[in-house]
Amino acid sequence: MTQIAAQRYTGSSVKRSEDLRILAGAGRYVDDIKLPGMLHAAFVRSPLAHGRVLAVDASAARSLPGVVAVLTGADLDDMTVRGPDPLLAMMGGGGPTAEYSLLATDKVRLVGDPVAVVIAESRYLAEDGCELVDVDYQDLPAVASATAALDASSTPVFANLGNNIIGPHKRSEFGDVAGTFAAADRIAEFHLDVHRHQNVPMEGRGCIASYDSDSGLLTMYAATQSVHITRMGVAACLGVAPERVRVLAGDIGGSFGLKIGASREELAVAAASRALGRPVKWVEDRSENLTVSGQAREESFDVRAAVSDDGDLLGLDVSMVIDTGAYPVMGSMVPSIIEAMLPGPYKLAALGFESTAVVTNKASYIAYRGPWASETFVRERVLDLLAKDLGLDPFEIRLRNVAPRTSPPAMMVTGRPLTGVTTRESLERLTQVVDVPAFRRRQAAERARGRYLGIGVATFIEAAPGPRAPEGSGGALGQESMRLRLAEDGIVMLFTGQMPHGQGHQTTLAQIAADEFGVPFEQVRVVIGDSDVVPFGLTGGSRSATMTGGVTLHGARQLKAKVLDVAALLIEASAQDLEITDGQVAVRGDPDSAIPVAEVARQAASGRFGADVDATLEVEATFDGGEGGWSGGSHCAIVEVDVETGIVKVERYVAAEDCGALINPAVVEGQIRGGIAQGIGAVLLERSAYDQDGNYQSATFMDYLLPTACDIPRMEIEHLQTVPLDADVNFRGVGEGGMIVAPPTLVNAIEDALAPFGVRIYEQHLPPARILELIAQQADDDADKPVALAERRSRSAA
Amino acid sequence: MTEITVNVNGAPRTASVEARRTLADFLRDDLDLTGTHVGCEHGVCGACTVIVDGRPVRSCLMLAVQAAGHDVTTIEGLAPDGVLGPLQQAMRDSHSFQCGFCTPGFVMQATAFLGAHPDAGEQEIREALSGNICRCTKPTWGATYDSDRGSALHRLQRQAL
Repeated sequence: MTQIAAQRYTGSSVKRSEDLRILAGAGRYVDDIKLPGMLHAAFVRSPLAHGRVLAVDASAARSLPGVVAVLTGADLDDMTVRGPDPLLAMMGGGGPTAEYSLLATDKVRLVGDPVAVVIAESRYLAEDGCELVDVDYQDLPAVASATAALDASSTPVFANLGNNIIGPHKRSEFGDVAGTFAAADRIAEFHLDVHRHQNVPMEGRGCIASYDSDSGLLTMYAATQSVHITRMGVAACLGVAPERVRVLAGDIGGSFGLKIGASREELAVAAASRALGRPVKWVEDRSENLTVSGQAREESFDVRAAVSDDGDLLGLDVSMVIDTGAYPVMGSMVPSIIEAMLPGPYKLAALGFESTAVVTNKASYIAYRGPWASETFVRERVLDLLAKDLGLDPFEIRLRNVAPRTSPPAMMVTGRPLTGVTTRESLERLTQVVDVPAFRRRQAAERARGRYLGIGVATFIEAAPGPRAPEGSGGALGQESMRLRLAEDGIVMLFTGQMPHGQGHQTTLAQIAADEFGVPFEQVRVVIGDSDVVPFGLTGGSRSATMTGGVTLHGARQLKAKVLDVAALLIEASAQDLEITDGQVAVRGDPDSAIPVAEVARQAASGRFGADVDATLEVEATFDGGEGGWSGGSHCAIVEVDVETGIVKVERYVAAEDCGALINPAVVEGQIRGGIAQGIGAVLLERSAYDQDGNYQSATFMDYLLPTACDIPRMEIEHLQTVPLDADVNFRGVGEGGMIVAPPTLVNAIEDALAPFGVRIYEQHLPPARILELIAQQADDDADKPVALAERRSRSAA
Repeated sequence: MTEITVNVNGAPRTASVEARRTLADFLRDDLDLTGTHVGCEHGVCGACTVIVDGRPVRSCLMLAVQAAGHDVTTIEGLAPDGVLGPLQQAMRDSHSFQCGFCTPGFVMQATAFLGAHPDAGEQEIREALSGNICRCTKPTWGATYDSDRGSALHRLQRQAL
C-alpha cells in the first residue's frame, strides 16, 4: 500500500482538529463575521415564474430611514461587466450561451429571480425596504417542464436563444450499436425519470464584500468551495484584475456542489460594496436557498437494452433530456459525463447515446454530489428490470456482466480503462455479509403473513481520480499544488487551495504530512481560505484524497529533504544518515545527536549558511494523480414496505466500498454515511416541486423534507482496500459514491418488496403516496386484464 | 425599543431591542454569541436551539423581549473555559459531525433532553433528535447503538459512532 515514511497517524481515525472550535461554538462561518460600518443586503425577488419587468419604483424604499441604497438590474448592468455565470465561462460549456444580467432587467425567469437589491443599516431594515419596492410585471406563459420547453411554440426564456434548447440534440455511438441490437435475443424498452432535488447545506449561500476605496482592493469573505474560483468570478464581473480581489473563507456549513464560483447575488453584493465604499453582507435565508440557490437532477431517459436470453447486457441505446432550469450554470455539461460513465464497470459492448438540454422557468441546474449520478440509476435500474424478465437474481445478473479484471485493464466502450475497478469483489463481499438465501426464506415467510420485505443491490464506480490518460499525458483530474514550509517554531505549514466544508482536511492532510515529515500531528498547520496565500484549488469532485493527499505526501518528502540538507551542516553528518522522528532530527541510531526541527529552521533563517546553501525551508509541490484509478463499491439495502401506508422502512444497509488506502477511516465512513443519507432522502422524501405554472412548491422545510435521525438506519461499511496502483499514493476519493448508488439500491429493494403486486418502478422519487399509487395502478391493470380478455372472447364469439 | 435584561450563560446581559428582534439575532448580533446558528428561520431545522429555563427552544421563533428575565444557555455556556463538556467530548471522540453548522443545535437539544431523561433508550434519543436536521452525517446517529448499561452520555457517545 501507500509508501509513507511512518504510519503513526495515516490510516487511523485521528480525532479532527476542527471539532474543538466547532463544539465550543467558536466556529467562524461567514454570517459570524462583523466588519465596522457593515451594511446588509436583501433582494427583491420575482413572484412570477416568467414575466416582463415593466417598471421598478424604488422611491419609497430609498426614502426609508436606514436604507442606504436600492440598486436595480439596470443599475447593476452599468456597474459590472455583463457575462454568463463565471463558472460556466470558466468551464466552457459549449453550445449557445444564454444572455442575462446579474439582476433582472427586462424579464424575470423564475420565481425568486432577483430584481433589485436593498442595502440598509440592518437586515431588518433591508427587508423592510424590499417590501416598499414596487415592481410592475407582465405575465408570460411559464415553461415549467422539459416537455413544454421542447415544444417549438413555447415562449423563449432567453430571447437570444430563439427557443428553449440550450444543448442541441446530439447523438454518439460507441461500438456496433445497430449490429448489436440486430443480433440480440431480446430488446427491452423503458422510460425512466429522475426527479428534481437539491443540495440544501445547513448554511446557505452568503458573503461579505468589503471594498477599500483608498487601495482599490475588494476583500470578499465567502462561503465557497474555492477561494480562487470565486476570486476569478468577482474580478471578471467587476472588470478588474484578479489581483485586486482577495477572497477569504473560514468554516463553511456544507455545500455538496452548491458553493462553487460566485452567484449572481454575491456578485451584486460585491458591486454594491464597491459603489458604496462600505462592507456589505448578504446571507440568504432558507426560502431563498430552497427557491433560487440551485437544484439538480431533473432528467428523463428513454432506454433500449439489447440482451441475450442468458442475461448478457450487450448494448444500450439511451436518449436523455435534461431540464437545466433558468440561468444555465452546468446543466448542459452533464449529458457528456453521463454518456462517458454509462457503461460503468460492465462488459457493455455497444452504446448509443443522445441528449438534449433545455431551459425552463425553474432554478438553475447546479452540481449536486455526483452530478452524473443518473447514469448509475439508469444502468442499475435497467439491470434489475431485465433480471426480473429473465428470472435472474440481481447479484447474478451483475456478476455475469462485470468486466473481468485483466492486465491491461478492460476498456469501457466509451474509451476509459477500468483501472483498479473491484466491482466483482465488492459484490461478493456483500454476499458474504448478507445471507441472501436466508433473507429470501424470511421474505417468503413474511409475505405469507402480509409483510413485504425486499432486498436491493446496486454498484457504481467513481472517477476519483479516474484512470490516467492512456497516452500518459497526465492524470484525470489535472494537477494539484501545495506550498509547504517549516516555520521557525518548528510547525510544518501546508498551504492548500482545498476549501474544506466538512471534509476535515485540516486533520487528514496533517496526518499525512506528520507521518511523512516526522513530526507530531499537532505540529502541522493546514492553511486554507485566503486567495493571497494559498495556491489554486477546489474542494469538489472527490479529488482531495488522491490529489491533495498525494501532493501532501510528495511535498512533505521534498521539504524533509531540504531540512535534512541543512541539518546535515549543523550536525556535521551526511544527510543520508539523518532521520526525523517526533520532530527531532538525529543521526540514525544516535539519539544524542538530536536537535529539534525548530532549531534547524531558526538556524536556516539566521543567514549563517551564506549564499551557497539553499536554506529556504519551503517547497512548491505538485502532483498529477499518479497512476490514479477508480473508486467504487456495491451497496445492499433490505427494506420493509407497509402496503397500507406506503411507508418504507430501511431495515438494513450495507456498503462495500473500495477507495484504496484509508487516510482516516472515521472521515471516510462519514462521507459514505452522509452520501447514503442524502440518497435515502432523495428517494423517500425530497423533491423540488413546481406546479404547472412554474410556482415553486417546496420553499420551506415543511415542504422540502430532509431525512432525520428516525429515517436513517444503522449502516454497515466494509472496506476493500485493494489494488495498489501507484508507488506512493493510493488514497482515492469517496465523497460522492454514497449519493450516487443509494438511490438505485433503495429503489431496487422497494421494487423487490412489491414483487407480489407486480409493481415495476421507472422513477426515483417514492414517497408513501407514490408507493400506494403504484400498488393501486398495478391492481387496476391486473383487474383490466380479465375484462379485456372477456371482451375479446365475446367479440370472437360474435 | 425595549430595554431587556436576559440572564445569558449565568450573567445578566442588558440591551435595547426592537420588539420584533428574534432571540437568535439578539444573541448573535447584540451579544456576539455567534455559536448559535440560524439554519431556517422557521423553526424546523433546530440549528438555533438554545436552552431557556432548562428547556430547548428554537431561538429563531422566540423574540428577545420574551426572554427578558429568563435564563438562557447557549453553546458558549457549555464550554466556558474552552474545555469541552462530556457530551461535547463524546461527540468529538465519535466523529459525529462534519461541517459543524448544525452541531451547536444538536448539542443544546441533546443536553436538554438527556438532562431531563437520563435513562432514555435509543429510540427515544432518536426521536428527541429528529427535530434537528443535519445534512452531512448526523441523521446516522444511532448507527451502532449498543444497549449497554451506562450513563446517558455514554449511551449517546455509543450512538454517535
